[in-house]
Amino acid sequence: MLSMNHLQKVYRTHLIETHALRDFSIHVDEGEFVAVTGPSGSGKTTFLNICGLLEEFSGGEYQLDGVDVRGLGDNARSRLRNEKIGFIFQSFNLIPDLNLFDNVDVPLRYRRFAAAERKRRIEDALARVGLASRMKHYPSELSGGQQQRVAIARALAGSPRLLLADEPTGNLDSLMARGVMELLEEINRQGTTIVMVTHDPELAARAQRNVHVIDGQVTDFSAEPDLGQHPAVTTAMPA
Amino acid sequence: MEFRPILSALMRNKVSMVLIGLQVALTLAIVCNALFIISERLDRMHRPSGMNETDTFVFNSTGFGQGYDVRSVQQADLQLLRSLPGVVDATSVISVPMSQSGWSTSVNLQPNQATATADTALYMVDSHGLSTYGLKLVEGRNFTPAEIGFRTVNDRAAPPSVILTRALADRLFPQGGALGKQVYYDNGSTPTTIIGIVERMQTPWLDSDYIENSSLMPAYLPYGNTTPYLVRAEPGRRDEVMKEVEQRMIQANPSRVIGRMRSIEQVRAVSYAGDRAMAIILGAVIFALLAITALGIVGMASFWVAQRTRQIGTRRALGATRFDILRYFHTENFIITTLGLLLGGVLAYALSLWLMQQYQAPRLPWYYVPVGFVCLWALGQLAVLGPALRASRVPPALATRSV
Repeated sequence: MLSMNHLQKVYRTHLIETHALRDFSIHVDEGEFVAVTGPSGSGKTTFLNICGLLEEFSGGEYQLDGVDVRGLGDNARSRLRNEKIGFIFQSFNLIPDLNLFDNVDVPLRYRRFAAAERKRRIEDALARVGLASRMKHYPSELSGGQQQRVAIARALAGSPRLLLADEPTGNLDSLMARGVMELLEEINRQGTTIVMVTHDPELAARAQRNVHVIDGQVTDFSAEPDLGQHPAVTTAMPA
Repeated sequence: MEFRPILSALMRNKVSMVLIGLQVALTLAIVCNALFIISERLDRMHRPSGMNETDTFVFNSTGFGQGYDVRSVQQADLQLLRSLPGVVDATSVISVPMSQSGWSTSVNLQPNQATATADTALYMVDSHGLSTYGLKLVEGRNFTPAEIGFRTVNDRAAPPSVILTRALADRLFPQGGALGKQVYYDNGSTPTTIIGIVERMQTPWLDSDYIENSSLMPAYLPYGNTTPYLVRAEPGRRDEVMKEVEQRMIQANPSRVIGRMRSIEQVRAVSYAGDRAMAIILGAVIFALLAITALGIVGMASFWVAQRTRQIGTRRALGATRFDILRYFHTENFIITTLGLLLGGVLAYALSLWLMQQYQAPRLPWYYVPVGFVCLWALGQLAVLGPALRASRVPPALATRSV
């Protein structure tokens, strides 16, 4: 599904250079549920941004679902992001002035789906997260857990190949977090690849595979016993 | 297009939308009516007087002392004026168009008619009148020197012949054939024969209901010891001739004062100064209103872009291209502007109706509002372009940054 080889990400100012990712390699197969962990400032959000085509990288290779993303223009990256990736953000990032229906509709409009197709997908997605009856409600009328479910519905509505979750339970209490995690696991069981960035070891433990990032480098990975057969998983250690 | 979700999002931020919408509405209503008033004033200011304005000037000669014979001085003056280098012609007058001062009377088709057929301004000239004023004779003939007589201000006898403007001739004889017909001035019973028709000559009064109705009568008419003269110079020599005339008139007769010497262009400028001032003030009001409205839109859009930076980043992360973001803000502005313009259109016609009732203003032509619509739409789109471009440059990675 995604393959990064010797990826580099350097932030430059006129005074300093910061290597956010260095010689970063990772391969994720279709249908995997990978947790990326690491302390604050380790580079996991940079990894997620590059993974989701939100940022460009400074060097190395990155293939997303067979597409080499190097050199893609802004419009092509936007289209690829819209078609192949669903995002779940820590702060949900729902649009407060739109009701749930319209929130889920946002990426579908950019996909230029017909109105009837959009309606079907929105209703299906909201039903999948158990909020079909609240389509006309606004985000402020929902709990945090419900808002994250809406965000998941928005991410799922476009039938993405890859779901990227950035601390998806970071703003939720433990009960709501458990519900969201169960939902993600169910989505993964239905075949969607998930890459989740988290600093919560308990959540990470529920993923099929953990990738630990420190100082912009993959330092370790672990897999549950039945996932040991993933030959594509590699790490690149700094020289 | 995202009309519905943008509109429903706007409905949750009604205050800003209503304020900008009202501003647009008031701007449209005021700008349309102000532009129409300016257009009316400009049309009024550019009405042709019918006379040569670029090469002509007027002045008064007032004599003093016993034995000052105004009639003989007048004849000598005219002879002198016509002989000066650079002078095309000269005549004594009682008024000029646009001067706001002159004589008027009624003109009838029957003797002692109870109700006047028309009103007219009176100009008293000699046989050099048509040439000096620069009037275009379209029918008949000019006065002969033999027809010119001396009159006094109290003399009410009708002259035997008259030259009318085309507008007055048509008013008196709508079926045509005015030339050679007889008319009666001042409710009198002495007939006056129409011997000529000039294309146009306005009355001296700008607001006159019969501004195109003028009669030229063959007479010299001094006001006491004062004689107004009209002089026509050769093209391009007017100012030079004005100085020369003043010197030569004083030299010819030191016991008098030459006063109120002014070109007809100055007469026009002074008479229409109020209209010009009104047009300038309204123009400034229009500019200020448009600037305030544009700045209001820029301010609102900039505020919304700043307020929604995270939201824009999220939209970008969800697949919006830069153009999608640009289009979002332009569509939002289009909706607000359109709602304001719809209200403004109604207000524009209502304001016009009120001006008609209160000030007898003419009705606002229908096309002013649609043209105003297009202009304010364009202004709105132009005003929102800067903030929208800023919004389109918000990086998608902003969606994952913690605030």
